[in-house]
Amino acid sequence: MLTAHNIVLGYNGTALCNPLDFHLGAGQICAVIGHNGAGKSTLVRTLLGIQSPLSGSVQWAGATKKNIAYLGQSATIDNHFPMRVKDAVTMGVWPQLGFWQGINNAMAERVENALLRTGLTHMADRPLFECSSGQLQRCFFARAIVQDAPTIILDEPFTAIDQSTESQLIDIIQQWRDEGRTLIIVLHDLSSVMGIADYCLLLGDGRGLFGKTDDVVTNENLISHHYLTHTQAQWISRLTDAGGRDA
Amino acid sequence: MLDWFAYDFMQRAFVATFVLSVSIAPIGAFLVLRRLSLAGEAMAHAIVPGIVIAFVSFGLSVVSMVTGGLIAGVIVALGTSLISRRTLIKEDASLASLYLIALALGIFILSAAGSAIPLKSFLFGSTLGIGDDTLLLIGVTATITILSMTMLLRPLISVTFDPTFYDSQSSHAGLVQQWFMFLVVLNLLAAFKSLGTLMAVGLMILPATAARYWVSTISSYLLVTLLFAIFSCWAGLLLSFYLADVPTGPAIVLVAGIVFIASLCLSPLGLRGNMWSKSKRM
Repeated sequence: MLTAHNIVLGYNGTALCNPLDFHLGAGQICAVIGHNGAGKSTLVRTLLGIQSPLSGSVQWAGATKKNIAYLGQSATIDNHFPMRVKDAVTMGVWPQLGFWQGINNAMAERVENALLRTGLTHMADRPLFECSSGQLQRCFFARAIVQDAPTIILDEPFTAIDQSTESQLIDIIQQWRDEGRTLIIVLHDLSSVMGIADYCLLLGDGRGLFGKTDDVVTNENLISHHYLTHTQAQWISRLTDAGGRDA
Repeated sequence: MLDWFAYDFMQRAFVATFVLSVSIAPIGAFLVLRRLSLAGEAMAHAIVPGIVIAFVSFGLSVVSMVTGGLIAGVIVALGTSLISRRTLIKEDASLASLYLIALALGIFILSAAGSAIPLKSFLFGSTLGIGDDTLLLIGVTATITILSMTMLLRPLISVTFDPTFYDSQSSHAGLVQQWFMFLVVLNLLAAFKSLGTLMAVGLMILPATAARYWVSTISSYLLVTLLFAIFSCWAGLLLSFYLADVPTGPAIVLVAGIVFIASLCLSPLGLRGNMWSKSKRM
């Protein structure tokens, strides 16, 4: 579904990392991790076609821009915009509509189903500013469901939400995988990466490492790509060992 | 009671301000939503030298003054973009610098040319002296604006509410924003003759900020903004008609200001609503 061939990420001619080469198929989830400034957001913008890579190419098999669903960081969204929850979810079908074309019954049904799947039916007519950060994130998941795209890109979807909401959203992600969609998710929490991702792209120190999650997320790789310090890696190892003994 | 309706100039003023409100209200609403209210104010001043140079060169021709204003507006917009991209000065400071220069230049040229048109007329307009050419300009501007807004409504909502989402779905974000700024300048020019450069932006922004306190959906927001704009215009016209020596432009904007303060104090999303929700939390 997605092939990145020797892409070099960067701005104004300055490369952020060495050439990246990876391929993802249908029904696969790839987590993107890296320290601040490693190039995660630049990668997302490049995959979305918002900016071009300095070199190399990105190919979406059979996918145009409108066939990619995107859920961005909620910090960039104006949640005081005069809009109901249902309206924000309906935005997911807008790219498929012509200038003067209204939404049809099938689209309206998709919106209702998405609200139901995200547990927001009771909030449908409420203004966005009444939503908690968890409800807001569920609203944007509902919009991504409505987009019904074969490829979905999520940029830090679990930031500032509680464990229970995160668990509901992970269920939706698993459903997307079961439906054969390709997902790319920027994450910070290593337990989420290990829990949901088949593949991992680790960015840092001007390099990128792509592979199966178990092969990429190792202490050695995380330290060498400046994602963890030696001390942090030791602490995580100790906690993991203690957890294993308790279990 | 309806004696004002017998006057031809009042009928023209009522029709002109109604059509102007239909055109300018959605533009003001999106300026407020896009947090560009002050940019609207700056653009209102930025068009002044173009209008003045056109007036001094070609006389009181609406076509030449609109062309001059558009050229000046585009030069200031491009200059702002160039300075903010190439130097350490940010967009707000570069726009402020250029519009102040533009305003001063416009007034300087107007005064130096010894114009027969008083400065007051440029700054505050003359709603009660609207001619056929101005009516035509307002009509054409309203047609272009309404047609554009029916096409741009969804992209504008999307690019304002969640710009990265819109970028991910379309390659036209820049075009949408540039066309919107063109509509801002066009509406300021249409309002310039009747309200003046200082007051035109008042009718654009105040009804939109007042309406923001009453509604929580975009369709109702656009509707309430329009109603407030029409009310401000018509109430301002009557105020100016019955109170001698009160210029119409400031009267209209003053009514819009009263609507804003009343909304701030009385609306469910204004001070009253906030105080109520705070006392509820306590």
